[in-house]
Amino acid sequence: MQQWRAVGDERLLQYVVRRLFVTIPMLLGTMSLVFFAMHVLPGDPCMAMLGDQATGQALNDCTHQLGLDRPLLVQYGDYLWQSLHFNFGYSLLNRYPVTTYILQMLPYTLVLVLASTVVAIGIGLPTGMLSAVQRRNPLIDYTARVIALLGLSMPVFWFGILLLIVFSLHWDLFPLIGGGDLSTVVEMIGSGEVFVYPGDFLAAVFDVLHHLALPALALGFTLAATVSRVARSTMLEVLNQDYIRTARAKGLRERAIVYKHALRNVMIPLLTIIGLFVALAMTGTVLTETVFTRPGLGKMLVDAIEARDYPLAQGAITVFTMIIVTVNLIVDVLYAAFDPRVAYK
Amino acid sequence: MDRSLWWRCGIVILAVCMSMAVWQPSPAHAARKKILKIAAKEPDTLDPHSSTIGQTQAIVRFLYRGLTRFAIKDGKVTTAEVEPDLAESWTVSDDGTVWTFKLRKGVQFHHNFGEMTAEDVKFSFERQLHHAKGTRFAENLSPIREITVLDPLTVQITLKEFDPVFPLRMVGYQQGYIVSKKAVEQYGDNYAWNPVGTGPFYFDRHTPREKVILKANSQYYFGRPQIDEIEWFDVPEDATKLIGLEKGTFDLIYPEIVTADMVAQVEKMGAVLDKRGPGGQERIYINMTQPPFDDIRVRQAFMHAIDRQAIKDTLYPGALATLADSPLPPGYFGHLAVEMPEYDPDLAKKLLAQAGHPDGLTIDNYFISKSFFYPKVAVLVQEQLKKVGINVNVQLVEHATYHENIRKNLNPFVLYGGTRLTDADVWFGLFFDSSQIPDPATGNKGTNFAHYKGIDDLIAQGRREHDQSKRAALYHEAQRRIMRDAVCLPLTDVPSIWARNPKRVSTPFNPDYGEFALHYSYNYPEMLKILD
Repeated sequence: MQQWRAVGDERLLQYVVRRLFVTIPMLLGTMSLVFFAMHVLPGDPCMAMLGDQATGQALNDCTHQLGLDRPLLVQYGDYLWQSLHFNFGYSLLNRYPVTTYILQMLPYTLVLVLASTVVAIGIGLPTGMLSAVQRRNPLIDYTARVIALLGLSMPVFWFGILLLIVFSLHWDLFPLIGGGDLSTVVEMIGSGEVFVYPGDFLAAVFDVLHHLALPALALGFTLAATVSRVARSTMLEVLNQDYIRTARAKGLRERAIVYKHALRNVMIPLLTIIGLFVALAMTGTVLTETVFTRPGLGKMLVDAIEARDYPLAQGAITVFTMIIVTVNLIVDVLYAAFDPRVAYK
Repeated sequence: MDRSLWWRCGIVILAVCMSMAVWQPSPAHAARKKILKIAAKEPDTLDPHSSTIGQTQAIVRFLYRGLTRFAIKDGKVTTAEVEPDLAESWTVSDDGTVWTFKLRKGVQFHHNFGEMTAEDVKFSFERQLHHAKGTRFAENLSPIREITVLDPLTVQITLKEFDPVFPLRMVGYQQGYIVSKKAVEQYGDNYAWNPVGTGPFYFDRHTPREKVILKANSQYYFGRPQIDEIEWFDVPEDATKLIGLEKGTFDLIYPEIVTADMVAQVEKMGAVLDKRGPGGQERIYINMTQPPFDDIRVRQAFMHAIDRQAIKDTLYPGALATLADSPLPPGYFGHLAVEMPEYDPDLAKKLLAQAGHPDGLTIDNYFISKSFFYPKVAVLVQEQLKKVGINVNVQLVEHATYHENIRKNLNPFVLYGGTRLTDADVWFGLFFDSSQIPDPATGNKGTNFAHYKGIDDLIAQGRREHDQSKRAALYHEAQRRIMRDAVCLPLTDVPSIWARNPKRVSTPFNPDYGEFALHYSYNYPEMLKILD
């Protein structure tokens, strides 16, 4: 048994390494695609930066200073060469080094995606399962399904504004804007000060959660609908399987059947959904960050594309790609944990 | 996990959620300090020579000052005259080409970067004249031939030729701000977020996409501001700004577009709108070289087909804007109210028929920016033109694309906005001088979208004229010619508008045009006061 597990671990490791190698050409492809797509788009960064105040001379100066008057292939070669040295340049939109700026934005997006995933699973999984298990109780089934439908029907920007009006403007329970003191949290963890000043750290965490609650609820609730519907249909399918019937015939309690036998099987398709869901949540952050005026990668990316901020957009899309690749890799690895039949070759 | 444990976990989570909900930051800290909270978009840099974006120009006014400043006359801030600021006094040679500025003594740069000297002044202008990376305003300083430091507090600027606009170029705005030479050299590319000026507030810190914090400069030479701290929040959405103003999260908001709905909401919550001229003029340039507009009768027909009053009333009801009365906005030196074409669709049809278009005409692929006022005005213009038989097929594009396309002469008529230095010479020089005709073949990206050559002589004469009244007369004639030749239809003069909570913040100037400013913000932010 021990030997079998060791062989399995080794295969898993090989699989992960192989997948990571595949990531390199994928990233290169993404970077090239983004580079050329950004340059093919009409409207150049200088026009975007100068706007109505653009004079002929200012435009010429700007184009020359940014090196945009060089041939495209020369610019591309320079971009790849600089990227190889981890030099992604300065953002044209806000004059920060791209790497520094993305690293500052990344934690805000990650906590939002993570928190909304928790909300989506926290709401979606129980309602979906309840709806399936209690399908003969129309009150529960229909209530759960209506909640799911509501989530599907309410766009995040609308639901977000609704939450803001009720919980922030009228009841004054949550802050209107901002992402909280996340930079302090990250700095304290990085410097080890978390153990020296635990009180300050908890206050900062609290502040982050306080700012995170409404955006995570808005984004998570709209995505919970998908989780709920998948959980319901999968659960219904699983509950009709022979082994469930056998478990019932053995006289197992319904709770044990649902939690021990059915839930694990429901998790496999759900994991796929969660993998996709992270990609969805990443795009959902654009609207959520806009409505709740939170810092983050999503809105930053849209602004960068609109402003034709080539360095920032290229950097941000590379990071997005890396996150999605990583999440999918994790999901693939987790399949084995939930389904022993999955083997990595 | 047994059932009681589930319950306990549930109660703990609920307690955390409840405490999260009721927890608010302690108001004691805020009460002790006088903090002004502003909701606007995030500036793209704090280097004053590097950005033309509204919010950046607004915030840098808090940090930097120039040799001169817009004069306060009879309790109003004007943009026509200047008074000493960092320069205590100045003299000018008889031919008007040598300006000698005596600097104020003891002015300190922020963050202990030392006393401001003539070297800093020379450096501030020369970095732009030498097209240092990121700088944008070399053109505004182009009359300068040489800058000489006579002593640490005296700087002499020699011009290529007499420039009537020179005192305005030295005002604390865009190219006129004085930066610390030492700081720019020390920070290099990172100066954008390590600004060092001499203004009433100094930069404290920036949390990207969240806020910029400025603090009162206790060494400010006109006295420390009453406000201790400025929190400039990055709030892109106008709806959020309004909620924040009502809730008290913000004291001042800088809306992207002021609509009638917004005004109603602002009034309902008891806030006031601070309107500052000259703002931006929204106008249409007609390319007189492109058929069918190369025929003046078609251009006249176009102008008579547009109901400017209806556009103003629809988009800017009440005092939100004024109907433009000249191709040079009020508040600019040389402005004269001239006769505008009447709205007369019948006359428009008649003129079109005379020009050989009895059945009207169609303009395909008319590009318009999807941002700011552009799409709203374009839709109204499209509807009005349709009534006289001019069909315009509009294509919405991003703002940068729009600017690119109009410089490729893809639009036969061009909708435009924006401000410039407040003198007819600057305005006409950019929008009506033949040297600024955009031409993709030569790479000229100028802004004379009408391709007009009719006032070159007047602009040139104005630049040589020392007598201000004669200079004004030349520009009056220029305005008449522009309208006579039907190359520009001025629509509205839209002030720069901020909404203010008057119970929290006061300004010494009348909210209704008590200030003229080019900064999209308060000209003298140090005069704002937090009310107890």
